[in-house]
Amino acid sequence: MNKLWLVARYELMSNLKKRAFLIAAIGGPIFMLLLMAVIVLVTVQTETDLSGYAQIGVVDDSGAIVYTDDPTATVQDPPAVMFVSYPDADSAAAALAAAQIGAYIVVPADYVRTGAINLFTSGNASSALTETIERYLIRNVGADLDPDVLARVITPSAPMLRFLDSGRVVPIEAILGLLLVPLLFVLLFLITAQTTSGYLMSGVVEEKSNRVMEILITSLKPVELLAGKIIGLGALGLIQMVIWVVIAAFGATFAARGASPFLSAIVLPTDLLIMGLVYFLLGYAFLSTMMASVGVIIVAEQEARQVAGLVSLVFAAPFFAIIAFFTDPNGGLVTFLSLFPLTSPTSMIMRMAFTAVPIAQHAIAIALLIGLNIVILWIGARIFRFALLMYGKKLSVREIVGLLRRRPANTLASVPTSETAIGGAR
Amino acid sequence: MTSPIAVSVEGVSKRYGDFQAVSDLSFQVAVGEIFAILGPNGAGKSTTIRMILDILKPDSGRIAVFGAPITDKAKDRIGYLPEERGLYRNVPVLEMMVYLGTLKGMTRAAAKTASMALLERLELAEHHKKKVSELSKGMQQKVQFAVTILHDPDLIIIDEPFSGLDPVNTLVIKDLLLDFARRDKAVMMSTHQMYQVEEMAGRMLMIDRGRLALYGTVNEVRQEYALPAVRVEGSGEWDSLRTVDHIEMSDNGRGEVTLYLKNGADSDDLMAEIAARSDVTVRRFELAVPTLNEIFVDVVQNRAAPRKEAVTHE
Repeated sequence: MNKLWLVARYELMSNLKKRAFLIAAIGGPIFMLLLMAVIVLVTVQTETDLSGYAQIGVVDDSGAIVYTDDPTATVQDPPAVMFVSYPDADSAAAALAAAQIGAYIVVPADYVRTGAINLFTSGNASSALTETIERYLIRNVGADLDPDVLARVITPSAPMLRFLDSGRVVPIEAILGLLLVPLLFVLLFLITAQTTSGYLMSGVVEEKSNRVMEILITSLKPVELLAGKIIGLGALGLIQMVIWVVIAAFGATFAARGASPFLSAIVLPTDLLIMGLVYFLLGYAFLSTMMASVGVIIVAEQEARQVAGLVSLVFAAPFFAIIAFFTDPNGGLVTFLSLFPLTSPTSMIMRMAFTAVPIAQHAIAIALLIGLNIVILWIGARIFRFALLMYGKKLSVREIVGLLRRRPANTLASVPTSETAIGGAR
Repeated sequence: MTSPIAVSVEGVSKRYGDFQAVSDLSFQVAVGEIFAILGPNGAGKSTTIRMILDILKPDSGRIAVFGAPITDKAKDRIGYLPEERGLYRNVPVLEMMVYLGTLKGMTRAAAKTASMALLERLELAEHHKKKVSELSKGMQQKVQFAVTILHDPDLIIIDEPFSGLDPVNTLVIKDLLLDFARRDKAVMMSTHQMYQVEEMAGRMLMIDRGRLALYGTVNEVRQEYALPAVRVEGSGEWDSLRTVDHIEMSDNGRGEVTLYLKNGADSDDLMAEIAARSDVTVRRFELAVPTLNEIFVDVVQNRAAPRKEAVTHE
């Protein structure tokens, strides 16, 4: 079994140094992050830009706004924006036309009853503008309230969400993160499992075409070769995941310092992380064994990629049922998807975000996955053993079934035959 | 201790579907010898080699390596160079050699030392950090050979050892192989280059369509195929010799003539007659022993009716 680790080590080290891996593992997420940062910044910029609104006119026909005669003495929020009082709509309109102010509001006489105001602006009514006006109104309409009461009016509640089934407690801002993170995790899982098992497959195709396979197969057992490759490239996949998570964490910190409260609120619960890792490893082992077997049966890399795409599609299938995960995370379909060994890795991670999965179901799913892995590894090793050297020839389904029925690999060397004399033995 | 027989193949047959690749083949390879396995394309050479290496399983028959059915331990003592060559293309030479060496049971340190020593001997030391794809074709061939013998195997099985090599490198590889044989290791090579077999191999096996066609020492095989004739160069009326039945002028322009002897006469009689005659002189006189190449062609062309039974050695 020592040779298994030699293969694992070699596969890990040689792929780590490959330019393609470095680009995918480091360049990929950095590029994604930059792209996201640009999108976020541009959006934030347009939505929070108040540079055109240094002064906003106020025409109060309701008398509800409490202010002194000195307009600068009114409660301002944020201080960067100054609200200036105008006696009537005409004078405010003139000021807007003269660009003395960026916008003005007219608070009608029935404002207290209806809450309706009119906003006039030369630019677009960004959410930053409307929020600023809202805050201005709250503070000034309620200026004579007790400051503590006013604070509660501004922030009426800061709820903590307590999930009744899983007992998980999260602040309300983090709810999106709780849902988003598993989805990202599943995506990461799919990308990683697919790229590394893709490496595995193209490695096998390469070794087959350059005949190194013949040397390998006379140096170690097929199952050692297969398992070594799976372990080595699995480690590679984990490294890639860690790189991505670190870069993403860095990006989230950056985003938190920037402007996006929703990204900064993302939390990754520990139980989800641990179970996610377990499902990742088991799912990856299955996928890569599958890919290696495909690689060894199929001759052309092009063709191999198509089959590989099909296999990973099955893994991604739970995504298509995502609505069911939202609406009925303990329903029949979702329970089936999270137990069925081909879809369980992705399904379980997604389902854990929405509900507490019973331990028994985890146990069943994991047991089924392990069982499937053992079966597929056994089949893979057999296919490896017999298909490795069939250059230029595709195995038919019948042949594959045939070789699964054959005698174990190492018992055949001593089949006795009768009366076969050797010419010229000395 | 090593068995004196490195490889023993007994009554081995292998069938792929309707195609009988090897039928009832038996031979042995002894330690300390260079053994050649010959045969036209598709004769079953590679199938035989792969069965010895436990890549393929024979349908029937018995194969023993170092005196026993092959084990993983035994595989570590074999160096195998497949017919179609290839290496990892994007891996530095030394790194790849160390990896393949450790797979044969060497420690990393030993594999590294042995690799550098071999690269030195093959004049490739300065390229050890280069990727295989950056080497010339000849260099790649040498690296492949180095991988084959890196772990100092007791049995080397090598398909076409000299293909793609220039004469200088052919000599280097040949020396290495002869050296292995001298150190009581077995070398089994399959080749189409008959003169290499004549020069290097002690014994040979020729298979044709999966069957044993010839088996024995190279000399025995050649003698067996010797014509009742003598090749001479010289001058005189060859027709007039009493022991000569008929002659055949060679068209190689060097004045070589093949003298076919009459029934009952042998080359000594002819030599004596020539010596006694003053009108006939010879510069060269040799038995018309065919080259292996001629035998090869003969065997393949006359496969319908094999000319000779298999010769056994000793």
